[in-house]
Amino acid sequence: MSDQTYHDNIALRLIQFAVIWAIAAMAAGVYIAAELVWPTIDFGQFWLSFGRLRPLHTNGIIFGFGVSALMATAFYSVQRTCHTPLFMPKLAWFCCYAWQLIVLTGGLSLLAGLTTSKEYAELEWPWDIAIALVWVCFGIVFFGTIAQRKIKPIYISNWFYGALIIVIAMLHIINNLAIPVTIGKSYSLYAGAQDAVVQWWYGHNAVGFLLTGGFLGMLYYFLPKHAERPIWSYRLSVVAFWAFVYSYIWAGPHHLHYNSVPEWVQTLGMGMSIILLAPSWATMINGIMTVSTAWEKLRSDPALKFIVLSLAFYGLATFEGPMMAIRSVNIVSHFTDWTIGHVHSGALGWNAMITYGTFYFMVPKLVGRELYSKKLANVHFALALAGTMLYIIAMWAAGVSQGLLWLSVDQLGELSFSFKDIMASMTPYYLLRLVAGLIFLAGTILMAYNLFMTMKGKEAARVTVPAVNPAYGMN
Amino acid sequence: MDGLSLHKKIEENTGLLIFGILFVSAIGGLVQLLPVLNQDSLDTATVNSHLYSAVELTGRDIYIREGCHVCHSQQVRPLIAEVERYGPYSRADEFVYDRPFLWGSKRTGPDLHRLGGKFSDDWHRIHLLNPRSVVPNSIMPAYPWLAEREASETGNITAKLSALTVLGHPYTEEDIAGADAALEGMTEMDALIAYLQMLGTSYQGESEL
Amino acid sequence: MSSTINLSFLLKSLYQPVEAFEALAKADPSPGRVFFRYSLWLLALPPLFALIGAANFGWRIGAEDPLMMETNSLLVVSVGYFIVLSFGLFSTAIISRWMAATYGASASLGKHVALITIVGAPLAIASIAHLFPDVLVNVLVMIPTMIWSMYLLYKGIPIVLDTPPERGMLMASSLVGWLLVAAVSLLGISMGLWTMGLGPSLGV
Repeated sequence: MSDQTYHDNIALRLIQFAVIWAIAAMAAGVYIAAELVWPTIDFGQFWLSFGRLRPLHTNGIIFGFGVSALMATAFYSVQRTCHTPLFMPKLAWFCCYAWQLIVLTGGLSLLAGLTTSKEYAELEWPWDIAIALVWVCFGIVFFGTIAQRKIKPIYISNWFYGALIIVIAMLHIINNLAIPVTIGKSYSLYAGAQDAVVQWWYGHNAVGFLLTGGFLGMLYYFLPKHAERPIWSYRLSVVAFWAFVYSYIWAGPHHLHYNSVPEWVQTLGMGMSIILLAPSWATMINGIMTVSTAWEKLRSDPALKFIVLSLAFYGLATFEGPMMAIRSVNIVSHFTDWTIGHVHSGALGWNAMITYGTFYFMVPKLVGRELYSKKLANVHFALALAGTMLYIIAMWAAGVSQGLLWLSVDQLGELSFSFKDIMASMTPYYLLRLVAGLIFLAGTILMAYNLFMTMKGKEAARVTVPAVNPAYGMN
Repeated sequence: MDGLSLHKKIEENTGLLIFGILFVSAIGGLVQLLPVLNQDSLDTATVNSHLYSAVELTGRDIYIREGCHVCHSQQVRPLIAEVERYGPYSRADEFVYDRPFLWGSKRTGPDLHRLGGKFSDDWHRIHLLNPRSVVPNSIMPAYPWLAEREASETGNITAKLSALTVLGHPYTEEDIAGADAALEGMTEMDALIAYLQMLGTSYQGESEL
Repeated sequence: MSSTINLSFLLKSLYQPVEAFEALAKADPSPGRVFFRYSLWLLALPPLFALIGAANFGWRIGAEDPLMMETNSLLVVSVGYFIVLSFGLFSTAIISRWMAATYGASASLGKHVALITIVGAPLAIASIAHLFPDVLVNVLVMIPTMIWSMYLLYKGIPIVLDTPPERGMLMASSLVGWLLVAAVSLLGISMGLWTMGLGPSLGV
């Protein structure tokens, strides 16, 4: 027995920030969805303009909600899988607060119109440098903790978190290389078609290693923990991990089908996107098989429901993606709302759901008190499912309509529809999408209340590092 | 040593794991990015390339600041319907001075790559101030503040041109010296319209597919 | 036993689903019998409604002018629609049966076909919206119907397959995953065929 305890207050604080960002960024999403229905509700204010609020929405979700949740779960699980407290806990606290400061000031800078325009890399160079620095600190804490572990094998969730830290650092630095002009303006080191290929190598893999890989780390720790079962197949997880890390990085050019980039790049991107389905689904099967032997846990645990459903949407999103990467499908889907629907089947159905499930599990454990209301969590589950389904279906209908109508020609080969008419006919779908977003946001607010009541007045309970089974020890 | 025992080594060694991830994930990027970054046809100016003037560059930076690229693409795909709707499909050499590229990923509004010359300056002015006065069902936001701001305050235009010269854009000393004067008396709206009117006009080829 | 699965039973499943599921739990119908007697007729409804609607009014995908298709290609599309729906029913029933083993429930294929038929019945009936071939009208009618069908799925599996509700919930979620993938495949395949020249002409 050692007398060391885990540093859990950091995880608790990061969860609080993640929930706040989720509500703020989803509210921004709902607002811009409303702007597409009633375009004058920006009231002539530049900072409420769609073009500035939309990057705020995406960055708020990915970097505010997503990264805070990933840091929280990474710090929580790396200590437990390594049987050691965090390496340099003060640096971990620095990561926690510095990151929130970056998200807050970065969000304000987006409203002020400082943007590189590159999707998910909109923040200008001072923030890029700050992100790189905090990210390195995150890496030091994380890998330092692994280096001082008391258990010989490095648990699989840590490989995914590790890949998240390493690959995102590589992508972030290379894509954001630029010549600064002023404090809020820089010019990309790459131009035109080359810039496009670099940006989508980044953009696709930010989705890949952050929203997919990072959250798979969450899955690999919390699902077995939750279900109180080991992962179904260790061998499958090894193969799937390396196949995932190898093949994801190639798929970026499917964002540039029929654009002015060399054809071989597009073909390669399409081929690798289809191959990517295999490791993605291998992981899903591993997860489903793990939980399928632990069904009786569902009775007492609303959290597990979220994780199970998130796997279904993960299956959808990772199937839909490769399919949309096929050139003859992409002709129709590219530039349409189908893409927006696809992103949200991942972001709402997979990322948000698995995070919610994890938070419902973690917070009661962290503070040593039962969840305030299981009933509210069940209501949240229904709202999350309904909101996601409605969102996806509205965007499927809108996207397919746009794609087909834009390309329709009559018997004489003339265009059948004007752009204006097609755009105007989208309003009902945009209204449905707004309702879907409101439903999902309402669920998230319920969760915030539920978690707040659970942790009210409490700090993280002190958990002592357990003794190590000598069979797995370092020596 | 079989696969799993090799893997046992990796998963018991932090350094090997870090190196393994870095190595395996770098391969795809290297194979794709290096040839593209070294392909001359993607970064060499031709007759189709247009070096942005001080005013157009300022307009372009306003376009970026307001997030126009969020809803408008600048990429006409080589499809019959797109060429019919917008004009000749986009060529890589038209973008060699685009830092960053603005091809976009979503067409909430129409593609703008061949916008130049299709509407009058006055039409653009009215449209930007109130899109619904010329396109009744438009869902585009209005940009009233552009008419009130001075183009010379958008950013340091001399520093911008100098920075781009470092990156190989062939601005002359006179271009840089005269940049401030070129923006004199212009609103941001004027600069943005100058950029919109130039979009896609430098293409010299046939208009067919 | 299979005589319990009759037309009045199907109607009952629409307004008294729990009783219908309980009755099905006790029966052991043969898949062919369920299919030819009931599923077939339900599956025929959407293509039929679509054919009538599209031939008379043309599809409105939002914009003003409807997309008109020739009668021949409409027939092809309708037959294709029917085949896809039948494939959907059987593949879902087979997958459901395969999953049932994992989730500790086991039953004959006929039971699964009947279960999926009951779950899908509201959708088949709501496809009357196809008579008004406007995408928005159809989306508005189909979404609430689909939510009802999903409710039937989550409700029906534990009763029919005689498995604990928690375990049934897992299985139903897996089936929802499969159905989502199937739906998006259908979208993708039709888009692929469309850009390759089937259906209304596209300038690609």
